[in-house]
Amino acid sequence: MRLELRDITKRFPGVLANDRISISADRGQVLGLLGENGAGKSTLMNILSGLYKPDSGEILIDETPRTFTDPRQAIEAGIGMVHQHFQLVPVFDVVEAVALGAESVSGPLGSFDRKTARARVLELSQQYRLNVNPDAKIEDLPVGVRQRVEILKALYRKSDILVLDEPSAVLTPFETEELFGIIRGLAKDGTTIIFITHKLNEVLEVADKITVLRRGRVAGTVDPKEATRERLANLMVGRDVELTVAKGPAQPRDVVLELSDLHVRDDRGHMAVNGVALQIRAGEILALAGVQGNGQTELVEAIVGLRAVDSGDITIDGKSVTKSTPRQIADLGVAHVPEDRNRDGLIGAMTVAENFILDTYHREPYSNGIRLNRQAIDERAAVAVKDYDVRTPSIHTYAGSLSGGNQQKVVVAREFSRPVRLVIAAQPTRGLDVGSIEYIHKRMVEQRDQGAAVLIVSTELDEVLAVGDRVAVMQGGEIVGVVDGDDATYEKVGMLMGGVH
Amino acid sequence: MTAASPTFEEVRPELSAAERAAIRSARIRGVVMAALGLFALQFAIQTMDVAATFSFWVDKQGGNTFTIATQVGVLWLLAGVVTGVAGVIQLVRGPSFQWRRALLIVIPFWVAATFAGLLAGKPANVTIVFAGTLTYAAPISLGAFAGILAERSGINNIAIEGKFLMGACAASVVASVTMLALGPAANPTIGVLAGVLAAAVTGILVSLLLAWLGIRWRVDQIIAGIVINIGAVGITNFLFLRILTKQTELNTPPTVENIQVPVLSQIPILGPIAFQGSPYLYFAVIVMAAFAYMLFRTRWGLRLRASGEKPSAAGTVGIDVIKIRYRAMIVAGILAGIAGSSFSLASAGSFQMQMSAGRGFIALAAVIFGAWNPIYAFGAAMVFGFADASQALLSVLGVDVPPQLLNSIPYLVTIIVVAGVVGRVRGPAAAGQPYDQG
Repeated sequence: MRLELRDITKRFPGVLANDRISISADRGQVLGLLGENGAGKSTLMNILSGLYKPDSGEILIDETPRTFTDPRQAIEAGIGMVHQHFQLVPVFDVVEAVALGAESVSGPLGSFDRKTARARVLELSQQYRLNVNPDAKIEDLPVGVRQRVEILKALYRKSDILVLDEPSAVLTPFETEELFGIIRGLAKDGTTIIFITHKLNEVLEVADKITVLRRGRVAGTVDPKEATRERLANLMVGRDVELTVAKGPAQPRDVVLELSDLHVRDDRGHMAVNGVALQIRAGEILALAGVQGNGQTELVEAIVGLRAVDSGDITIDGKSVTKSTPRQIADLGVAHVPEDRNRDGLIGAMTVAENFILDTYHREPYSNGIRLNRQAIDERAAVAVKDYDVRTPSIHTYAGSLSGGNQQKVVVAREFSRPVRLVIAAQPTRGLDVGSIEYIHKRMVEQRDQGAAVLIVSTELDEVLAVGDRVAVMQGGEIVGVVDGDDATYEKVGMLMGGVH
Repeated sequence: MTAASPTFEEVRPELSAAERAAIRSARIRGVVMAALGLFALQFAIQTMDVAATFSFWVDKQGGNTFTIATQVGVLWLLAGVVTGVAGVIQLVRGPSFQWRRALLIVIPFWVAATFAGLLAGKPANVTIVFAGTLTYAAPISLGAFAGILAERSGINNIAIEGKFLMGACAASVVASVTMLALGPAANPTIGVLAGVLAAAVTGILVSLLLAWLGIRWRVDQIIAGIVINIGAVGITNFLFLRILTKQTELNTPPTVENIQVPVLSQIPILGPIAFQGSPYLYFAVIVMAAFAYMLFRTRWGLRLRASGEKPSAAGTVGIDVIKIRYRAMIVAGILAGIAGSSFSLASAGSFQMQMSAGRGFIALAAVIFGAWNPIYAFGAAMVFGFADASQALLSVLGVDVPPQLLNSIPYLVTIIVVAGVVGRVRGPAAAGQPYDQG
């Protein structure tokens, strides 16, 4: 079916999320919808799935205008969603998770007819070669398979239009290739596909047509055959973008961080980090690549002292910190940019100024042991805001109300304000706009050049390849390979991430 | 063995800290169990000459008896042997031993031996204890079903105690008033039914208040529940002290008579225990079966569980999570209200202040002990019901234990069960979390 959105406008208090957006996709066409965080992709998608109502504009399916007031109507109109955060009940099995909301029933009590549902799941799984075991429990499935279950969910509802929101965010490059195969197969059979992403390579590879969104508007629609990465990046950001990080060659010196045979457990008691050995030297950036959930989070938490080490050793400048507290570790010159900045990086309900002293509030001049010295805190904040180009109405603004990029600058400014010997940055640019990404990368390189050892954990291959002097790949709790930055290619690192080594 | 061949210790792979801890705790458990076994044997030697007499009613309560006579020492001997064997198996098998299941076998022996020991030769009627177990279990299990229903839909329902109290009070007053209005010649069943209906309606209202506070105003459901429980105590105390103590005719409801289940009540021994009981018991059993089927086999159950586990997954496929939660709370209110009516209509014959005495919280313990499954929860309710019934019997027979200590048995059992025996059971993931639709 042909899908067209015409002049969709959606306003939230203070934000024009969608400003007269028009997009269209023909039957069997793959439309790539490209845009940064905050460009209005999610809002558009929520309008399409019936969760939001547009202020104005039309949704046309096969030239017929449709209005959706709840998700059910969008589903009935043939629109299937694959959400970025999977909408599957973890304790259900595949049949239950797929059938939920569209159950086949029998008898007066509305008994769930599992047999019919299971047969249909199996049939669809075979027809589209999705290779899903209908009886497996969702929480036991790897993310790649969960995503195929999400696709099954849409097919089960006979969706003719499939919308995929950032589908590759949690996939290995290999799984992403598989996904593209499935997408092409579905398109060939006549399914219309909207592929939402911020990754340039992916739209170029899989889309038949690319529409770029910027700040709630359509910045342009291009043919992927004629498009280049540079042109797309320019449309996405509104100016020319440096796709590589400007940095000189690394000058590694003595070892700062050394991990030997490190074992760390996750919250559920499973071994998340399984015998990691790694060295990072002063003056180099080690980029740790890997798909989300392969032990990187636990590794970082162990290094900075937030998680108990099961066995093995962590040393910083030759001193064992395996049993040290986070504050003791920070005092050795460790700057930590945590993965989830809203949970671990800053306190949204405190002001920008207060967030700057979360690590030093107990010291002179910010406190004398009993009272906080507000004047010293404010002076310090004023300087940091200027130095790190934090765009905030005031230093007394709540940190939670800043944009993601500015929040991250607050975190980085605080962490880099102490003497830095080692930087541990987990997903430092996740969800940031291109300008902020460039800025954060520049600061990381600056720390390296001033003699710090830098560990950047990232799931984004582009970032890993751009900033890493060396690239290590983590998979299943182990380091499966370390590649020199010059030898690190998309294919090589991607293969390691996918477990091919 | 030559010097070159590695010993068993050497080839064993290195164990992680957690695995070592598991082995250590398994060892401690084994030693403790074996030691307890020895203790029991020690008791056995001391009590070999004390008679233990258990009798059952064969045909009906108060009828012919069938008696088992033995010595307390014999029971301790059995308890000691079973415990000791379990301890030895634990030591041999290590962490892989299913010790929680073993406890299910060991504990009844200890309970029987302790029971006999406390009675110190006095004969005990077991039918009373077992029938009492089921009677006490009925309201607890109904309360647990109310809890399961609410939590499976995503709402923390700790206001069961409040619903019990309000239900008990409303049932007594409405049943009394109905009988007054109809005159002395009327069939008392009508009064009882009116009381039960009033209890159900009261339960719905209390339930809806909690749901409305939690869903509409996103009040923390635990806090809202506590407030409702306290409010229920206040309101019913006020009604009792100001009105019911002065106008006692408003608090003299007709009582619920026991039912003889056709055919089954004629089974010797089992009949008087299980099939000559309170209608509340049979109501609870029917609800248990229906609820278990509905929860795990129907579309309604699938959607209910989805709402409590991952409401956004239900919402994105067009299921109205809010509606599901309100409906679940209405049914939970009916169940808890009816359970409450059993206190004033079946047990006491009138409403008394705080007469539910924490049974609503014990029902919550049964929810957890029963792993949010109606059938297991009924089993859990029976454990708590047994504690109640034993306490009642021991009090009546006047054993040599301070009554305050006896009264605390049901609560002690609850604490021990919830803290110790229950392993890591996982409740509905989204219980207590407000859900934003769109």
